[in-house]
Amino acid sequence: MARAVRSGTRVDTVLLVACCAMALLATVLPLNLREAIAAGLRRTVVAPLLSLQQQAERGRSAFLSREATTGRLDSVSLRNMQLAKLEAENERLRALLGLGRQLEWGFVSAEALRSRGIGEDNTVTLTVGSRAGVESKTPVIAPEGLVGMVLTVDPSSSIAILWTHTDFAASAMSADRSAYGIIYPHLSESGRGEDTPPERYLLELRGVAFRSALKPGTAIVTSGLGGVYPAGIPIGTVLGELRTSEGWARTYLVRPAVRPPDVSNVIVLLPRKTHDPSLDRVWRSTISADSAARRIAAAGDSLARRAAADSMRSVEAAAARLAGDSAARATPRTDTTSRPGAARPPASPSAQPPAPRPAPVRGDTGRPPASRRPDGANGARP
Amino acid sequence: MNWTRSARAVLAFALLVLLHYTVRPLLGWRTPVDFLVIAVLLSAVRVRPGAAALIGFLTGLVADSLTPSAFGAGALAMTAVGATASWLKAVFFADNVVLHGFFFFVGKWAYDIVYVTAERRMHGVELATQLLLWSPLSAALTALAGVILLLMLRPVLEPQAV
Repeated sequence: MARAVRSGTRVDTVLLVACCAMALLATVLPLNLREAIAAGLRRTVVAPLLSLQQQAERGRSAFLSREATTGRLDSVSLRNMQLAKLEAENERLRALLGLGRQLEWGFVSAEALRSRGIGEDNTVTLTVGSRAGVESKTPVIAPEGLVGMVLTVDPSSSIAILWTHTDFAASAMSADRSAYGIIYPHLSESGRGEDTPPERYLLELRGVAFRSALKPGTAIVTSGLGGVYPAGIPIGTVLGELRTSEGWARTYLVRPAVRPPDVSNVIVLLPRKTHDPSLDRVWRSTISADSAARRIAAAGDSLARRAAADSMRSVEAAAARLAGDSAARATPRTDTTSRPGAARPPASPSAQPPAPRPAPVRGDTGRPPASRRPDGANGARP
Repeated sequence: MNWTRSARAVLAFALLVLLHYTVRPLLGWRTPVDFLVIAVLLSAVRVRPGAAALIGFLTGLVADSLTPSAFGAGALAMTAVGATASWLKAVFFADNVVLHGFFFFVGKWAYDIVYVTAERRMHGVELATQLLLWSPLSAALTALAGVILLLMLRPVLEPQAV
């Protein structure tokens, strides 16, 4: 018994001495060796514990930064709420810029301020007036098409009626010029009173000759016959024929190109521009008015313009390289078959230097034009 | 000690090691609670001094793997604390909470003294501040946590054996 106790004590002592010796040895080991042993332990035995420690520290950091994170989250949420509105506005302004580039001259851009009063939902107040060259009965347009017409003009502002107004009427035609008529707002039976607005945002194309049948989807544009609206401005697309008591003419229901709630920034065509025959080309499209609107929007996209310029430069450079190659190959060829991509002088009209154009008018909607053009010059240079 | 008690003791040891690597970084205090010291002390009183020294050495080595610059210091300190606690376990057979708290306090403080001395990193005022201010504070917190854990783990550890 006593021997067993002594033996146990001896083993304990040996173990204690051995452990202490190994620990002391560990403290005096070279640093690289210590690091190697520690790394081995970290990669094997301690790895799960290390992972737990890292997760705990990460949790503590997240806990400590929760208030700042919450604040940032609130800010981001707030900005995100405004983002859709800003994107829509950006898109619209970009489209307006594209339309301005297409029009080139003879217009002013303006903000359309909507009144919230009773009976004022069919009119908008424009932030440009007679100082900018705006006159009564000048057309108001948007990138998508016709918006309305200026009704009254003040020096720095004006009031325009939208196409939903009961007084609105415009001479119109189908895009292929096969049918002519007069466009009016579509008024329901209850909306035909003087002060009663139309119940729906739709238009009617009345007085179309009976022989001129229009299919749904046909684009309707201004015909330019009335003298107020120049030809070619999109009005909408045919939805279907309306059954009326008149047997000598057809009436069509038209879906408008411009939705009144979307009207926020517009372009007012100045009187001289309304007689410009080139206006028809702005929206002309062989496919549809939608594609024309997309083209207009793309024209306002600076990235698209830059990409187009880059591609043009690369094409010119390639043509120059090929011309150099063909000049180097002075050996006359007997065959007349041209190789693909062989050097040729640029023959397409787009490759020619553009003819001098009138300087475009800058339409600034950000501030009243009086502050920028105090002399009233609106830049309406043909 | 039968197998059930051994398994319970190992379970408690593993739990304390887990707490050391989860709760301690989560708290992030300047004077951290040392759950490893609690684990070694609770294990040491259940085994012979040699085994306690080995447990302390291995535990200290694991702790040192995260501080290669002081590699070996933790192992040495844990070995000393474990072996001493095992030799002095007769003192702690009494089921007294205050005595257990004092046991943990002294164990942690002794560990810090051996560790800092073996580490040979601190000198002068810094060493004195560490050993006379931060270490006692840390030891006090460790003792408090140890007592709380001991009360919570009593069904597992069978307190009459502690």
